Amino acid sequence: MPRPYVDPYLSGVSLGLVLLGCFALSGQGLGASGAFANLASHAAGAFTKNAWIDGYLSRGWASWTVVEVCGLIVGAGLSAWLAGRLSVARPPAPRGRLLAATAGGVLMGVGAALARGCTSGLALSGGALLSVGAWVFMLALFAAGFLAAPLLRRLWA
Amino acid sequence: MSATRRMGLGALALGLLAPFVGEPRRAVSGALDFDAIARAIDDGADHVSARQLASWIRARKPGLRVLDVRDAKAFAEDAIPTAENLTIDRLVGAVFKPGETVVLYSQEGAHAGQAWVLLKALGVADAVFVPGGLADWWEEVMSPVLPADMPVAERETAADLSRYFGGFPQVGLVVSGGAPAPAPTPYRRRGC
Amino acid sequence: MNELLVTAAIGIAFGWTLERAGLGDPPKLSGQFYLRDFTVLKVMMSALVTAMLGAFWLGRLGLVDTGRFYVPETFLLPQLVGGLVFGLGFVLSGLCPGTSCVALASGRGEGGATVLGLLAGMATVGLAFPSLEGFYGATPMGAMTLPHLTGLSYGAVVAVVTVSCIGLLAAIGQWEARR
Repeated sequence: MPRPYVDPYLSGVSLGLVLLGCFALSGQGLGASGAFANLASHAAGAFTKNAWIDGYLSRGWASWTVVEVCGLIVGAGLSAWLAGRLSVARPPAPRGRLLAATAGGVLMGVGAALARGCTSGLALSGGALLSVGAWVFMLALFAAGFLAAPLLRRLWA
Repeated sequence: MSATRRMGLGALALGLLAPFVGEPRRAVSGALDFDAIARAIDDGADHVSARQLASWIRARKPGLRVLDVRDAKAFAEDAIPTAENLTIDRLVGAVFKPGETVVLYSQEGAHAGQAWVLLKALGVADAVFVPGGLADWWEEVMSPVLPADMPVAERETAADLSRYFGGFPQVGLVVSGGAPAPAPTPYRRRGC
Repeated sequence: MNELLVTAAIGIAFGWTLERAGLGDPPKLSGQFYLRDFTVLKVMMSALVTAMLGAFWLGRLGLVDTGRFYVPETFLLPQLVGGLVFGLGFVLSGLCPGTSCVALASGRGEGGATVLGLLAGMATVGLAFPSLEGFYGATPMGAMTLPHLTGLSYGAVVAVVTVSCIGLLAAIGQWEARR
């Protein structure tokens, strides 16, 4: 039996403290999409060069967010393993959901690139520092999510 | 009372108290660290030569940010490649990411030096300025006069760097008689 | 080297917290948009309030220098549109960029699929950037913050945000208790 998930409020406060520590130690917030943008830029940089791609190429492969996201994967894997969630026999995700996940990933990639951040880097980290753009992004994100949800009911039934 | 409710009430208390305690102090770095600034000026950590800047630009040094503190008109006429125009009054509100190396320059260096002190007061750790400003850029990078007695490898590197930016390096030629050709007089007294 | 270790440690703590909260579980995340499971809002709001209050008070006590914290720049229009597109993708995939890595690390297929999609989406923007550049840089406002925008003091905005978020969480608690 896997362990139950931790209370969401307690998780939230811990996440807030991790974010605070991150600010104090590195001067910037937690991020995730930056790592994807960096790796995608290095791939796209093989075909073309422009200001957006160059901005990431100049930082090199192992940018701050890439290292941080590698840590994220290790930490999440460790936590899942110790909580007995890796060994749970799960039915594989249905094909429709995998396709939807890929499409959702593409949309989130485009959205995060336009907005210069995602739920962690922009909405949470920027929101905690009261950045106007972060709050606009967060409200738009939830508005679109709640509006689109009824159309996708079958996916999550 | 549940732990959740206690956390919520604690947050509310801290939040509602916030308007009455004033602004968070920016003091730690907001105050001028006189010793650190004096030390930087003393050991030369406050500035960078135009030639060094040129090699940083060419090498695409990560986090490099070149700022031209002159007015927009001067900037439009002539500027160091990759520079962005940020006049001194706009410098105060500018955002500097951690890990950025800020390089300031002006026409002849005085304004950039003042801007450097301003940035230090604002807590920007990694900032330097070009002492001779744009004039140095022209003299050291765009049309450098490389002495004939300079080691060949060093001279080639400098000439190569100059050509990269479309400059015209001149080498003090040795004429047949063996006497070095008179070097063209620099158009400005070298400062700093 | 030291800095690298600190960064990796921050990432590990980040991933650990997300996984423990159950945020690597797509049906759980998408449940937020069907008002079945409020974990996403609960975690996000309490994290935001904690970090905001922490930054304000630690800064006020002079323990950290909040002036050095990086405030993301505001580009109103691209961030509005980006948020809308992102929200649609969020419901489709049931994960966001950070949590997709958590799902991947806990061995879920959706995690891998989302990661691939994210890379493709980002690369598309990279390749099409010349035609997007105008929009990408539209309506710049610099490091604009809510206190700057509204003219209220930092503390007043902190109070308003705290009351709104805690109020929202309390309302969610009541609604869940009634069902």
